[in-house]
Amino acid sequence: MSDPISTASFLGLSGALLGVGLFGILTRRNFILLLISIEIAINAAVLNFVYFAAFSSTAASGLNGQAAAVVLVGLAATEIAVGLAIVLALSRLRGSINVAEATSLRL
Amino acid sequence: MFDPYNIFDWAFLVPLLPALAFVFVGLLGPRLKRLEYGGWLAVGFGGAAMALGVTLAAEEMLSPGTYTDQQYTWLSLPGNGSGAFPNGFSLVVGTLVDPISALMLIVVTVVGFLVLLYSIGYMHQDRGLPRYYAELSLFLAAMNGLVLSDNLLEFFLFWELVGVCSYFLIGFYYEKPSAASAAKEAFLVTRVGDILFLLGIFVYFSTYATRGAAGGWAANGFPFVQGNAPYLAGAMGGHSTTLTIAGLLILGGAAGKSAQFPLHVWLPDAMEGPTTVSALIHAATMVAAGVYLLAVASLFLGFTPTDQLAIVAIGGFTSFFAATMALVNPDIKRVIAYSTISQLGYMVLAVGAGFAMVGLYHLFTHAFFKALLFLAAGSVIHAVGTQDLFKMGGLGKPMRITGFAFLVGGLSLSGIFPFAGFWSKDDILSSVYGTLATHPLYWPFFLMALVTVFLTAYYIFRAFFLTFSGSAPRDPGLGHAHEGAWVMTGPLLVLSGLAIVAGLLPFAHGFGSLLPGAGIPPNYGSTDLLLSGASLGLAGLGIGLAYYLWGNGRVFALADSSPAQPVRRLLLRRYYMKDAYDAVGTRGVYGLARGADFVERYMIDGTVHGLERAFAGLSDRLRKIESGVVLDYAAFLVSGLLFLLLFLLVIGPWVASNGGL
Repeated sequence: MSDPISTASFLGLSGALLGVGLFGILTRRNFILLLISIEIAINAAVLNFVYFAAFSSTAASGLNGQAAAVVLVGLAATEIAVGLAIVLALSRLRGSINVAEATSLRL
Repeated sequence: MFDPYNIFDWAFLVPLLPALAFVFVGLLGPRLKRLEYGGWLAVGFGGAAMALGVTLAAEEMLSPGTYTDQQYTWLSLPGNGSGAFPNGFSLVVGTLVDPISALMLIVVTVVGFLVLLYSIGYMHQDRGLPRYYAELSLFLAAMNGLVLSDNLLEFFLFWELVGVCSYFLIGFYYEKPSAASAAKEAFLVTRVGDILFLLGIFVYFSTYATRGAAGGWAANGFPFVQGNAPYLAGAMGGHSTTLTIAGLLILGGAAGKSAQFPLHVWLPDAMEGPTTVSALIHAATMVAAGVYLLAVASLFLGFTPTDQLAIVAIGGFTSFFAATMALVNPDIKRVIAYSTISQLGYMVLAVGAGFAMVGLYHLFTHAFFKALLFLAAGSVIHAVGTQDLFKMGGLGKPMRITGFAFLVGGLSLSGIFPFAGFWSKDDILSSVYGTLATHPLYWPFFLMALVTVFLTAYYIFRAFFLTFSGSAPRDPGLGHAHEGAWVMTGPLLVLSGLAIVAGLLPFAHGFGSLLPGAGIPPNYGSTDLLLSGASLGLAGLGIGLAYYLWGNGRVFALADSSPAQPVRRLLLRRYYMKDAYDAVGTRGVYGLARGADFVERYMIDGTVHGLERAFAGLSDRLRKIESGVVLDYAAFLVSGLLFLLLFLLVIGPWVASNGGL
């Protein structure tokens, strides 16, 4: 199988996605943008699974990687569902979805 | 085997009857309509025990011998033909009646019964009457058990039991701090002796158990059987050092119980208990148990010459030492208490010199005249409500019977012919005198004992004259004194009779010869008329001096400038021995306890609490991290991830490339 894209560039892409996601997680104050950043970070991992599944020596392990990617997509979807529910609750409670205002998350 | 037609097989009832009284009076006494009924119940049981005890003793005198009755095997280990006990080992609880235990049985049951009866009058106002009678009955049970024990271990059990009863009864007026502390003192000081005694038993045990005494003495739990002494002498062989140590330990036990120097300090303080208790426990019976132990040990275990010298020294010195303290004491009971220590010293002296029977003879007579003195003193205290000799005086007229009883007891104690004390004291002096030729080291202790005759006569008649002579009490508040009820005067008269004739009772004088068998030391020294005359003269001199100084209501006051004042202070302060013990207790033991407390509190607890405090502080700091701000948590999350990456990608490979950990 020809390899038009190098491993380094692929990993660089997923690393960049992770970096963008983390940067977003740290800097965004808007809860929805925060959720989107998390989504980007998760997708960096999904991309890795897909990429390394294509390189696997056996068909079974390749399928395993793809299956893991699908599971991760589902996981991200559920996470977004929960996250959006929290957003709704937060906006009802505070009238704002600024994450910096959520300061009561402790015992 | 138990034979109902053999009276000696019923000996177990003698301790059992007072034990039943203890249970009945203890449980029912407070519920009876009148508190005295419980007392009469105890008197009844005590009387039954006395009847049986005296019958047993009479039976023993008629047909002398050793009657053992092993009622109950407590513990039995089969032997396997080798090891320390080839024929096995068994502990038996049983009774043994032989001449000396018969003698003790008379003392304990008769004095015990008379004291129980007397107490009805003496204690009648006391709310604690049922408790008093229950404890006194328990004491009698334990004391009878001790006398009838047939082996050393059983003896030790009862020995401890009488000790604990003594503790209860000294602390009978437990609301009084001085009584409570005197009880503790008595218990702790005798405990020192008890531990020595127990160690002595261990030494005998290990010696005879491991030195091939096959089927012999130790294998049967140390029975008091005649013929042990020669057996032991044979088995002893070259182990005389071990036997000396064991003998000294036994002496320590006896010194604790019989209040011999240097463990004598508790007995004068034990006078905090009721006077009846002093008469029974701290004069006639329990304190005599130490002498009984020494006598039994010398007959059945045997002492080495070193042991004998130590016993003679302790006995002779104590008799003199205690008598000096009695000379100046202003408290009627304490004078008699010191006299008890002194007389016990005589008995120890006699036993140490090898005349166990003579010591026991003095024990026998002393029990009667000393109980008499105590009960007479109790009668006085009951009438006037004070123990201070200098407040009394002139009591001879309103209290004729008591005065007569005290006079008889005093004459007997002084050793005046023909009262009981004369015979036994004379026996002691003459038998010890007889050994001086072969044992010159006994000389100083013999002289001490001889001087004590003079001191004894002086101090007891000083107390007598201060109490009874003169026209009226020195304290005018005591004018209404009168004689007690018949339950009090009756025992006084009976004991007066006994204090006169006890020395003459032929079996009492001759009971020593009833213990046949080899290995028993000679019983009596030769009677030396010159010595008897000297001791009578000394006693007469003492009485004369007491009359000259205190008679007819005179009160002799030592001038403040007199050179004898420091001596008087020294005697009143009891040679500072109690103070010294207190100092050892407070400085030494208490200091040690404080050291232990420091280690416990600051080093052990300190480490634990310090660790606890350190972690509490740390967690107090760490909990600040949890700010509640969601963005902070995100930051922790990311920094954690970054740290993980750093570790996996940089530090890990660096360590691996440098040859691993």
